[in-house]
Amino acid sequence: MKHVALFLVLLPAFAAGPAGSADEDTRERRHELMEDKVGAAAKPVGNMLRGEAAFDADVLMASLRTFHEVSGEFGKLFPPGSEGGPDSRAAPAIWEDRAGFDAALAEWRDAVEAALAAEPDSLDVARPAVGPVFNACKNCHDNYRLEDD
Amino acid sequence: MRRVLASALLAVLLCAGLLAWLSRPVTLAAEDLPGHRPDAAAGERWFWAGGCAGCHATPVAGKRARGEALFRLGGGLELETDFGLFRAPNISPHADDGIGGWSAGDFVNAMQRGVSPAGEHYYPSFPYTSYARMPVTDVLDLWAYLGTLPPVAGEVPGHSIRFPWSVRRGIGLWKRRYLDTGSVADVPADDAAALAGRLLVEGAGHCGECHTPRDAFGGLRREEWLGGAPSPEGEGKVPDITPSGQDVGGWSAADIAYYLESGFTPDFDTVGGSMVAVQEHLARLPAADRQAIAAYLKAIPPAGQAAAGD
Repeated sequence: MKHVALFLVLLPAFAAGPAGSADEDTRERRHELMEDKVGAAAKPVGNMLRGEAAFDADVLMASLRTFHEVSGEFGKLFPPGSEGGPDSRAAPAIWEDRAGFDAALAEWRDAVEAALAAEPDSLDVARPAVGPVFNACKNCHDNYRLEDD
Repeated sequence: MRRVLASALLAVLLCAGLLAWLSRPVTLAAEDLPGHRPDAAAGERWFWAGGCAGCHATPVAGKRARGEALFRLGGGLELETDFGLFRAPNISPHADDGIGGWSAGDFVNAMQRGVSPAGEHYYPSFPYTSYARMPVTDVLDLWAYLGTLPPVAGEVPGHSIRFPWSVRRGIGLWKRRYLDTGSVADVPADDAAALAGRLLVEGAGHCGECHTPRDAFGGLRREEWLGGAPSPEGEGKVPDITPSGQDVGGWSAADIAYYLESGFTPDFDTVGGSMVAVQEHLARLPAADRQAIAAYLKAIPPAGQAAAGD
């Protein structure tokens, strides 16, 4: 009986503990960065490369700076324990092959830095400069993101 | 009594004979092949359209092959399905372990009739039901192209299929129901791009094999052609790519062609799952082929309304 009472007393503490807290915030933060910042910044750039939108150097540079900012923080948002989660598409490979994941993120950051340094002022300069940035997205998703269902 | 027994025995024998006849492998004879000089360079297009490497390229360190490894068709990829475990065989031109010893007729019968050189049925995990719609001349070109790739040693063990699917001869009956060389969806006769796309999508590209739901016997439900399906490998689903689809249905033809070329959706998210390899292979086709695929996907009826074909 005593045990039951103790259990009941401790239950709320456990329920509110690890499950709701830091890890969930971490997962939310990384989702927010990728979806709301990177995804939103990628679309206008992609449309320029596709020829669906006019080339705009300012928009392109702003997007590249957003990528750069996120690429500095993103890797820190996958601490041990933040695996899983109901809506998370972070693949177990991130934690199983941390070095590979870090390398994929570094590839992205390097590509972004190179594109920033190129300061593209035309589509012809932008295409080869931004191509590796988008390739890095694709490579990392291919290996470290789960399929959407 | 004896007469009854004799009649019963006769009935059983007749049934068995009928089943054996119905399920027999049906092949093309060498003289049925067109007089066509196989063109390996032209066949490369069908290699990428068909995504042969997607299943047959030997995985590297447990991961799907990329780059030069795409040309090493030693097989070995495993496909876990409801029917059992399929293992992609070696189709490199190795004389003993691959298909180096095959004749052109052997290859056509495998690709378009689902019959091995030894006269056995292949499981339709090898999508000959789609390849059957390719012009034979394209299949012969592909055969010539495969012959230019490096021979890879090593035989792949056979499939591990559950009963009753393990009875190969039964596939003969299955084929009578589901192997149909006619086209599936109607497209306007004056839409050249959509017609070219139909050949690519319904034939070599075998898009329907994953994007169309299957019935209890594993046959495609044509009335829901390309209308999306559960993933054949278990988790997740394969999207509806007809004009009714919530995702791809809202894309323009240019969006679809760009996605197949670059791997990016109109929102600039990246292609995922099994479609990654498919996209990377289709990216190697001439741009007109991707535009044709897109034109076809825009021309077909929304899922649920597909015509039964001609």
